[in-house]
Amino acid sequence: MAHDHTSHAHHGAHDDHHHDEPAKGIKRWLFATNHKDIGTMYLVFSLIMFFVGGSMAMVIRAELFHPGMQLVHPEFFNEMTTNHALVMIFGAVMPAFVGLANWMVPLQVGAPDMALPRMNNFSFWILPFAFTLLLSTLLVPGGAAAGGWTLYPPLSLQTGDAFPMLIFAIHMMGASSIMGAINVIVTIMNMRAPGMTLLKMPIFCWSWLITAYLLIAVMPVLAGAVTMLLTDHFFKTSFFNAAGGGDPIMFEHIFWFFGHPEVYIMILPAFGIISEILPTFARKPLFGATSMIYAIASIAFLSFIVWGHHMFVDGMPLAAQIFYMISTMLIAVPTGVKVFNWTATLWRGSITFEPPMLFALSFLFLFTIGGFSGLMLAIVPVDFQYNQTYFVVAHFHYVLVPGAIFAIMGAVYYWIPKWTGHMYNMTLAKTHFWLSTIFVNVLFFPQHFLGLAGMPRRIPDYAVQFTDWNMVSSIGGFGFGLSQILFVIVIVQCVRGGQKASAKVWDDARPTGLEWTLPSPPPYHSFTTAPEVP
Amino acid sequence: MSAAETDKTPSGRRRIRNTALALMSVALAFYFGIIALLVYRGTHH
Repeated sequence: MAHDHTSHAHHGAHDDHHHDEPAKGIKRWLFATNHKDIGTMYLVFSLIMFFVGGSMAMVIRAELFHPGMQLVHPEFFNEMTTNHALVMIFGAVMPAFVGLANWMVPLQVGAPDMALPRMNNFSFWILPFAFTLLLSTLLVPGGAAAGGWTLYPPLSLQTGDAFPMLIFAIHMMGASSIMGAINVIVTIMNMRAPGMTLLKMPIFCWSWLITAYLLIAVMPVLAGAVTMLLTDHFFKTSFFNAAGGGDPIMFEHIFWFFGHPEVYIMILPAFGIISEILPTFARKPLFGATSMIYAIASIAFLSFIVWGHHMFVDGMPLAAQIFYMISTMLIAVPTGVKVFNWTATLWRGSITFEPPMLFALSFLFLFTIGGFSGLMLAIVPVDFQYNQTYFVVAHFHYVLVPGAIFAIMGAVYYWIPKWTGHMYNMTLAKTHFWLSTIFVNVLFFPQHFLGLAGMPRRIPDYAVQFTDWNMVSSIGGFGFGLSQILFVIVIVQCVRGGQKASAKVWDDARPTGLEWTLPSPPPYHSFTTAPEVP
Repeated sequence: MSAAETDKTPSGRRRIRNTALALMSVALAFYFGIIALLVYRGTHH
């Protein structure tokens, strides 16, 4: 990798106009309408939530280090599992992707900013309030929600004073996501540079465009479901109350109509990121780029018709079981197209192993493990065995941690020199990668064995035969958690200074895309004149 | 008119506003739709 030491990048950030300067002090952030500032706030917020949710995971793994009750009350353990999920999904992964979209979508489509900058500010600033409210439920009488992030009634209706706070927090998160999604769609549909047809658009933008449509379709459904929970709790309605003629199973249907597309909301932008990183460091164009777009769209469509696979053990007609099993397995087809296309992109490529590439390669192997265990869970009789065991926990953590979170880390390592104008400490970043990859497997792979041996999920205590693999898993958890301190160190060092990054940053690899035509860091107001795309 | 110029012209601003309003309407329709569906289901057994 070569770096342009005489880069005009730094000056480029300040040579436009006298008003090309951010506001001073706290006003810059409170009243931010600049997509780069809002993107930065989203990413910082996400990182903080990653550590908040991670600390809850550490409590869980510490308690499970030994059989028997060790450190916390069982009720608090349940609060940890529930809130760990809510914080990681809505506070860490989703805001990280929105932050990346804020930074990169305007730069990749050649737009001066997001289409609706004030709404952008609003959708970010809702989040700190939503999560302050959510986390404060840990302090109220009756404790925080402890019935799982799925909020199934009637259990969730037994939540104490935290219940209305939780519902309001979820409404705020949903409103924030919907506004973010509207902003992405409106920007992409209306503000692309001249000549940038949809099929010429970078694949990260494509993945986000499709994700944004998913968000608009399913977040209101979650909001509707929790509103009905709220009226069941406080206004004597019986949407989900069997005693009043309602149907608790109906909640599960509605929840998973939201919940399954939600899984893809957390992975499709990751697919986009991997499709940006692999071609750069393999020094080849993305294999089957158009088929990648169709694959993302197919996965998005299928995500709406597979929700029943979360409910096989509830009991459903055989025809429904078969439908949900086959439709779920069908997802493997477009996902397989993607995995094979990524592999074909690497084939005979001139590959180098910079930190973003390491994370992308790790994603390719480890996400695929999560995908395969998902296929196993799609098989109805198999699911009857694995449901509610640690096998499920292993499956979705493989998809979300070395899947979504590794893609986010890869994206940060790929684009942070562009954002800050500085290269980062490669050795430290590679150390972060190797420790993360080793420990994430130590953490989650044994959970497959635990699940197959019958260890149930969401319990603070377990039978002694599960001790050894739980110890291994917990050691992996502590190792993975500690390794993330390196990530913060690399980021802080990179923001504060370092070797100057050139406009293309990865000069040897010749990355393609409009973002690399701008200096590093880009001017505060970039693409004030629309670039021409040949 | 180029796509990136849309936010600088009245017709471009109108396009942005209309797209945003259309998407917001879809979101609201899903929100009230799912509740209306369950109210209907509850009253028509």
